[in-house]
Amino acid sequence: MNEERMQRLLTLATSGFLIVFCLAPFVFMAVISLSGSPEFLSGQTAFNATFGHYRAIITTPSLHFIDYLRNSLAVSAVSAAVSTLIAALAAYSLTRLELPGRVLILFLILCVTMFPQISLIGFLFKLMTWLGWINTYGALIFPYVAWVLPLSVWILVSYFAQLPRELDKAALIDGCTRWQILRKVIAPVALPGILSTALLSFIFAFNEFMFALLFTTDHRARTVPVGIALFQGLHGEIPWGNIMAASIVSIVPLLILAVAFQRHIIQGLTRGAVKG
Amino acid sequence: MRGHTLSELREGYSFMLPLIVFLGCFVLLPVVGTFVTSVYQDVTFLERKFILFQNYRRLIGDADFWRALRFTLLFVAVSVPLEMLLGLSFALLLNQSVPLRGLLRCCVLIPWAIPAAISGRTWELIYNYNYGLANFLLARFGLSDEPINWLGSSAGAFASVVLSDAWKTTPFIAIILLAGLSVIPSELYRQAKVDGANFLYRFYRITVPLLKPTIIVALLFRTIDALRIFDLIYVLTHGGPGGATTSLSLYGYRYFLVGDFGYGSSISVTLFVIALVLALIYVRLSRWSTELT
Repeated sequence: MNEERMQRLLTLATSGFLIVFCLAPFVFMAVISLSGSPEFLSGQTAFNATFGHYRAIITTPSLHFIDYLRNSLAVSAVSAAVSTLIAALAAYSLTRLELPGRVLILFLILCVTMFPQISLIGFLFKLMTWLGWINTYGALIFPYVAWVLPLSVWILVSYFAQLPRELDKAALIDGCTRWQILRKVIAPVALPGILSTALLSFIFAFNEFMFALLFTTDHRARTVPVGIALFQGLHGEIPWGNIMAASIVSIVPLLILAVAFQRHIIQGLTRGAVKG
Repeated sequence: MRGHTLSELREGYSFMLPLIVFLGCFVLLPVVGTFVTSVYQDVTFLERKFILFQNYRRLIGDADFWRALRFTLLFVAVSVPLEMLLGLSFALLLNQSVPLRGLLRCCVLIPWAIPAAISGRTWELIYNYNYGLANFLLARFGLSDEPINWLGSSAGAFASVVLSDAWKTTPFIAIILLAGLSVIPSELYRQAKVDGANFLYRFYRITVPLLKPTIIVALLFRTIDALRIFDLIYVLTHGGPGGATTSLSLYGYRYFLVGDFGYGSSISVTLFVIALVLALIYVRLSRWSTELT
């Protein structure tokens, strides 16, 4: 049929566009990271394939790239674990125990997602200075946990609400406490939801920029996005090769997570949004 | 609703306590603090002084503030519809049973997963005047005789920010819309096909109306998010050239950075109020559209 052929053509064209659109900058990043002369597109130098930039960022301590990466991984992992635990507790309470005030709390959580980050940063900066936490992991982990909690709670509420109440009742009759029920009955059944929540929290924390920019001052707590954003050469020129190599290395963990858990992430994102 | 014993209540609220403490200390308290600070003169090393609306009066006379506001609103008005269109076409594609659908879905997740500050550096190189990919492609395909000064001109910088932001955030829209598409029963399409409705007719009569609630949710999320754009601009244009791409978030950030907390807070409050008003409009819109159907 004519229409079917047109549709197939359209599908093919959109697929091609999607792949090029999504991958081109990423491929460009990889290509430059392997080139000895990042300005080769001007036609005045050759490509000069090399792994030198990767060696440089990993073995040059003064670039602090490994420090940034370690900070990012540690801060994001701890934030994700803590926020998922807190969200699971809250989501259990919100879906299972019909407490007065729970609608208010859900509404409050929704409001929190409306706040621009800039409206928190002045007060948080003073708070962190007062606590003496500037340039420590604490200055990032506490705000990150709070920042990703609304999304985590929404996702987990939507997962927990689907589980039959009979699970709880049977366990209650067996003499379990609520905490035991959550840990031994609900958590195993809701594992896919908990995994999506933890993954999304990790990626969100890893992506965060503004807090990390203001609350850290050097390699002891600075995260990878800030490190790469502020990467400068010694003499004012921009070390493109090193920047691109550092970008590739630091996004590898994220891409592995995104590809390996594609289904979980997509499900988590949709639940978080459609619910809201 | 059933009654609760005291111990049940205590247990239930204790489960909620960590959430309330975290949100209270690190989100609600800071927001209230920002509102309060916005009516003070609060500059590092100076005495804190209550000045009521003087910060806001200063905003009204501040040409740089108006430029940041204009840029931010213009950015939302251009980028959100563009991203919606792209996102919708991606979602329609991903919803079909095309070969390699898993691969396409992975591709879509890649821009979303990469931090904007990191991909921003790559975009900075792509837009480089002398050896960037953008000008290289334009010259190679003969689309432009002269290289374009992407980051050095106001219009070029605006286009650069919009394009890079579309790359990063279109996937999110595509994923949300995909969820909305996947619950539309395929029966409807089959029936319409039998009745001889063509592709466009099916799109306008089935897809668009049934997808409308999801579209509004995606619009709401994207609008709120685009209003507070910061990371990408900080890295890609630093708000330049000459302040042409300074967003409200970046403008406010600069005041916090130099220690003028009072004025920075009044900028933050303004941005917050704009976000709130737009959110309310969307909620109204969605209620209105459900009443109609």
